[in-house]
Amino acid sequence: MFPPTNLPVPSEVLLITDELLAPADFLLHRQLAAHLKESKDSRCVLISVSEDLGRWKSVAQRSNLNLAQSLESQLLTFIDAMAHISPALDEKSKTPLKDLYIIILECLKRPHLDETKALVVLDDIAALEWMGVPLADILRFARALCAICRKYNASLIIRHHITTPGEPDDILRHLLQLCTYHMDVFSLSTGRSGSVSGQVALHCGAATSEPTHKLIPRSKAVQYRLTDTGSVFFDRGTGSGVL
Amino acid sequence: MSAFKRRTTAKQPPLPPGTRTSPGSTATVITSTGIPSLDDILGGGLPLSCSLLVLAPDAHSAYGELVLKYFAAQGLASGQRVCVVDAHPETFLAECIWTPGSGSAPAPAQSQDPSSSSQSAAAEDEDDERASEHDTKIKIAWRYEQMKQFQTTVPSSSQSADDYCRTFDLTARMPEAVIKSARSEGRIPEIIPQADSPCRNIIHRLSEMLSQSESDQALATRICIPALGSYEWGDLSPQDICYFLHSLRALLRRYPRACASICLPPHLCQEAFGGLGWVQKLGWLTDASVTLAAFGSNPSLTAMFSSHHGLVHIHALPAPHTLLPPSDKFSTLRGLTSSGENNLAFKCMRKRLIFETLHLDVEGGVSERRTTPSTNVLAMEAGVGHDHSHTSGMSAVTTGGSTSLAAVQVQLEQVQISTPPQPASAEPDTTKPESSFKKAKVKKKVAFHSERPDLYDF
Repeated sequence: MFPPTNLPVPSEVLLITDELLAPADFLLHRQLAAHLKESKDSRCVLISVSEDLGRWKSVAQRSNLNLAQSLESQLLTFIDAMAHISPALDEKSKTPLKDLYIIILECLKRPHLDETKALVVLDDIAALEWMGVPLADILRFARALCAICRKYNASLIIRHHITTPGEPDDILRHLLQLCTYHMDVFSLSTGRSGSVSGQVALHCGAATSEPTHKLIPRSKAVQYRLTDTGSVFFDRGTGSGVL
Repeated sequence: MSAFKRRTTAKQPPLPPGTRTSPGSTATVITSTGIPSLDDILGGGLPLSCSLLVLAPDAHSAYGELVLKYFAAQGLASGQRVCVVDAHPETFLAECIWTPGSGSAPAPAQSQDPSSSSQSAAAEDEDDERASEHDTKIKIAWRYEQMKQFQTTVPSSSQSADDYCRTFDLTARMPEAVIKSARSEGRIPEIIPQADSPCRNIIHRLSEMLSQSESDQALATRICIPALGSYEWGDLSPQDICYFLHSLRALLRRYPRACASICLPPHLCQEAFGGLGWVQKLGWLTDASVTLAAFGSNPSLTAMFSSHHGLVHIHALPAPHTLLPPSDKFSTLRGLTSSGENNLAFKCMRKRLIFETLHLDVEGGVSERRTTPSTNVLAMEAGVGHDHSHTSGMSAVTTGGSTSLAAVQVQLEQVQISTPPQPASAEPDTTKPESSFKKAKVKKKVAFHSERPDLYDF
């Protein structure tokens, strides 16, 4: 059943793209919840560019996940990206993301049990470009992030917003080269609806030669509906989630 | 009678004046924008700690600024702190609107009976629209007799919700006394943008203002930016604006008793300025984003939707503590609960600005089954006096309604009786009913609906 539960696997990169009409917050929350609930020692590093911790906490509350507890026990690390980027942006430096990279590296280096899996979530790489961070720096940062995640055996999820559907921008093209899987969240072509919030497709990235998960093309995309507690997935054309 | 007692909720801090909890989630506190229909679109109101961006791409009108004026007026009326970020804040405030009866527009006995005031306001608006005279004459089929009138917008607030959203009157200016008293209480901090790096500077000063007011009182703060990036701000690039909106939102999250409302001037709303996907980017960087696309210089749109002044496009809706924005469930205007989303439009009447559902007229203009042209055609032809004669039957009926959710009822479309068109070619002959518009020379219309209605009637 969608979404596949063991995605992403450690040292793999999952790229999640979404549109304004069909935001992918719910997928991130779902992945976070699944990861934290999996085992008592699973760690997570949440790098948030746009959203603050309060929202993560309140949405997680609805699916019975206590983030405050995880924060205290150091299992969850929340990094406010802009706090590390804005001073560098103000000085108009060419590499404003360097400080952020070092912080993330520190987090991953922390000693932990070898068996535990770590999950790194970068919420929103697109906003960095919109705010004036040089493109070259963003791409370098993305590649470096993938490299350290592979090194420390952590799975990485990167979220990117698509503002020009149909015409991939530079960041998207580079991210597609880096990722192992690409989860594509897009809206219905007919606009907003109450019963179907959007559709999700799963593509294989450039880093995979043989996909282990069943790929879902856009034409057969799984539809979802957001509810108070999370999301419900159903195949298109069926009424199982709606009726 | 069981001994089970309802557990009282833990003592919550009292809500700041002019706010209430969102129906969708108890953690969210919402405040009114001053326009009841816009509040409905947002899901009850604008949540504190959220930012609302109003795009007004039409260069010939100022509806975006009008929304901001409502926002500021509502803030002052509720006793909240209103921070105006503008090159000329005094001018902006002086131009703001106010409730009727307390200043310029004399209206006796209105303060005692708010429901009648809203009804009289509604009655005046109906006079403007001249729709009421037609309503009573139509013989409704028996099965529809019991139904209420079709409503295209939410009713304006009744007396119970007076403190949350006041009924503002566009003809009333904000009295000097109100501004003076608010200023003396320190409730109107003003921030004037400087030309050199205005964005960072303003964020810095907003942050100072908010941290100060945090320690002072338990008042909600509204930040009004009537023209972000206007010429006084200097030359802003799209990255500057993105950075500003992003930082403003982060600031609002840090001081959750504040909310912000921003209007972007027309030249900055275009993709020519921001690049492809600009409106989408703005939607991602703010919590709520709405475009008021006024018809302005487009005569064909004005003719097609003669009862409205522009279309409303919703890009983003606030959901500060939930996955789903509460508007999806609670907005009657958007109508997501029933089926697909409604098209929305706005119109600026003599006394107020309202957001309505937009309904297209029957397609085709004149087909073989119709013997009379639609009223749209009449509006174009008749010229002077009938500019506000409306598309059949859809009038914004506002009652001093006490229900919080408007019940949508179906009303039969009214067919105006008037002179029929002269058949252009090979149409079955139509009967000629009596007409009250004898003078109107009705244009010949063939069965298909022309895209560009003729502008010049020779």
